[in-house]
Amino acid sequence: MNVLILILSVIIYASFGPINLVYILFSSLTSFFVAKYTKEKNRKLIFILAVAINLLILVFFKICSHSKFIGTPVENIIVPIGISYYTLQIISYLVDVYKKKYEPQKSLIKYLMYVIYIPYLIIGPINRYDDISESLYAKKHWDTSRILYGILRTLWGLFKKFVIAGRISMIISVITGNTSEYVGAYALFAMLLYSIQIYADFSGGIDMVIGVSKMFGIDVKENFNSPYLAESIKEFWRRWHIGLSSWLKDYVYIPLGGNRKGKIRTKINLIITFVVSGLWHGANYILWGLFNGILVAFSKNKTTKWKTLNRIINYLIISILWAFFIWPTTTEALQMIGSVFTTFNYGALFSNLLNFNLDIANIVVLIISVILLIIVDCKKDKLDEKVKNMQVDTKILLIGILGIIILVFGIYGIGFNVNEFIYSKF
Amino acid sequence: MKKTIKTIKILFIILVLIIIFVLVNKLLSPKYMENLVEGSMIAEYYDEEKNHEVIFIGDCEVYANFSPMVMYEQEGISSYVRGTSQQLVWQSYGILKETLKYETPKVVVFNVNSLRYSEPVSEAYNRLTLDKMKWSKEKVEMINASMTKDETFISYVFPILRYHSRFSELNKEDFEYMFKEKKNTFNGFLINKKVKPAGNLPTKKVLPDYNFSENCIKYLDKMTQICKDNNIKLVLIKAPSLYPYWYDEYNNQIIQYAEKNNLDFYNLKEVADLVGIDYEKDTYDGGLHLNLTGATKLSTYFSKILKENYDLKDYRKDESVNKIYQEKLKLYKQAIKD
Repeated sequence: MNVLILILSVIIYASFGPINLVYILFSSLTSFFVAKYTKEKNRKLIFILAVAINLLILVFFKICSHSKFIGTPVENIIVPIGISYYTLQIISYLVDVYKKKYEPQKSLIKYLMYVIYIPYLIIGPINRYDDISESLYAKKHWDTSRILYGILRTLWGLFKKFVIAGRISMIISVITGNTSEYVGAYALFAMLLYSIQIYADFSGGIDMVIGVSKMFGIDVKENFNSPYLAESIKEFWRRWHIGLSSWLKDYVYIPLGGNRKGKIRTKINLIITFVVSGLWHGANYILWGLFNGILVAFSKNKTTKWKTLNRIINYLIISILWAFFIWPTTTEALQMIGSVFTTFNYGALFSNLLNFNLDIANIVVLIISVILLIIVDCKKDKLDEKVKNMQVDTKILLIGILGIIILVFGIYGIGFNVNEFIYSKF
Repeated sequence: MKKTIKTIKILFIILVLIIIFVLVNKLLSPKYMENLVEGSMIAEYYDEEKNHEVIFIGDCEVYANFSPMVMYEQEGISSYVRGTSQQLVWQSYGILKETLKYETPKVVVFNVNSLRYSEPVSEAYNRLTLDKMKWSKEKVEMINASMTKDETFISYVFPILRYHSRFSELNKEDFEYMFKEKKNTFNGFLINKKVKPAGNLPTKKVLPDYNFSENCIKYLDKMTQICKDNNIKLVLIKAPSLYPYWYDEYNNQIIQYAEKNNLDFYNLKEVADLVGIDYEKDTYDGGLHLNLTGATKLSTYFSKILKENYDLKDYRKDESVNKIYQEKLKLYKQAIKD
């Protein structure tokens, strides 16, 4: 079964373009052999070299993705799919083996499975070898209840992606399509909505990864913990893209000194970590990382004693920072953020609400779906446990209902291009 | 026992879900009963008595221009028009094949206008032809031959995949015709009484290539062959229409093809004056299609050609068939009067 999963993963991955395989095999093979065969002599140097080579390949592609290269030959360089995810996995593996946290994997097939396992290769999450290896390599067996849970989790991800994120993307595409007219209130509206879109899109994708993996009996770690319930930006980053955040903490922030070298160094380390996070997203996002770093470094855990108010303020800040994801260049993003504070066209926005590609029925569907998303997020752990323990027949019923809801209310088909995940480009 | 009850419960839930899925598919699919009625024409044929000696196959130029009711009244010809909007030649072939499963007419009249289209043109038109067609080997072949770039076969199997976004535009028609259908044509003829005189037509473009594609000829060959195999006379026609332009180069190719394959070809566009077509009064869309008066004139004219040349029976003398037609004629006359 494990070999079959690996073969399927390779076939699917190669279908995106055989060149992708060249890069991933290079990184996989070098890291596998370095980890397995390096003796004590020159160990440090060889491991540093292996990490550096992988890192340089990643940085090269990240720099190539900068908007200033649009229209140049660099633009045509094909960035290997999933490079941001598998490179970090490989680096964490190399560092952990070097630190003798665990023994290196002896089987190349098993190691390749860790790197190339297709569900998390496209949009993450970033998995640590010691977190996933046990279930990844375990003997697979049939468990109807677990498989049905996996299907349900996958469908919930599809619901978020196609019913919520797809719908919002239709509104945002109108606003971003006319940057001279849609400024001020429109820009803020786009930012507030984009917060939901990127969450529904990314976490929806992760739900699918977790769900599909569950069907195979593989336990992929959660990547989100109801992030918009965070009361501060610090807390937000503990709940958002947990795989990346914890990777950065362990392999950037702590090696830089973490909080062990005084208050000023702690703040600098935090800012550097977030700049690295920005760079991981692409050269366009360095400023976004810097702003987040400054906010995290200088913010308190909670700002007021009112939970809801804290959450609203936090949501607003996070939303404004997503501007760097909405508009294609840093300059445009900064202009749009600026316009929020200088152009007060809220009346025009409200009178124009029905002119953003969605009619009333679709807006109602969106509102109900978002409310459902909030409820599920608030009761996440309880609900998850409840669903896991449901009878098989109840799970089948839920699968059927959710499936039909997605088929009816999802945004897909001719004329819609919402199949790509936002985070698959990183 | 407990296990059996559990299994029954699961099967029951699955059954309920399938029923819901089928109902949702039905609800969201366009009904083509009050709006876009062109989409319902293909299915009307299935409920008909299969007693036709002449079958018309082709695009809108057949269902708008030829009235079987007039041809019956004039010459006693029993005919049916299996025309659909922008019916492409591979669709015509599929429809002909499907028709032959139900009956073997003496004459098949094919309007050659669609030969100008060498590849799938429009998803919307594909749907009008294919959505309501019964599932058969022919339908599968037609879908595969007709799909445009963005279309998927599965969306024809499960219409919800194509029409799910209609949930926000459902209207009375969708509920009223969820389980029933009504006839919008008379033996495939769609009445249109509007008058829009022919006006300024687009300039005639010079085309880079006037040759019909190999693909089109391949399907025309198949139609010729299947008619030959079934001892059916295939008659090629070009219905009168001012636009899109029917180039001389097109016409010459058809003449040559007809000669080579021993087929009859009638360019009815060339005899429009003889037929008595007045493009000021006899068209509903400025010269593209004939309206009721134009179709009546053309049907009268063409029924004579059919009667004189193809040894057709006068069904007015056949009591059982005549009874059916008389009932239809009563309704037809009411419809053209309203």
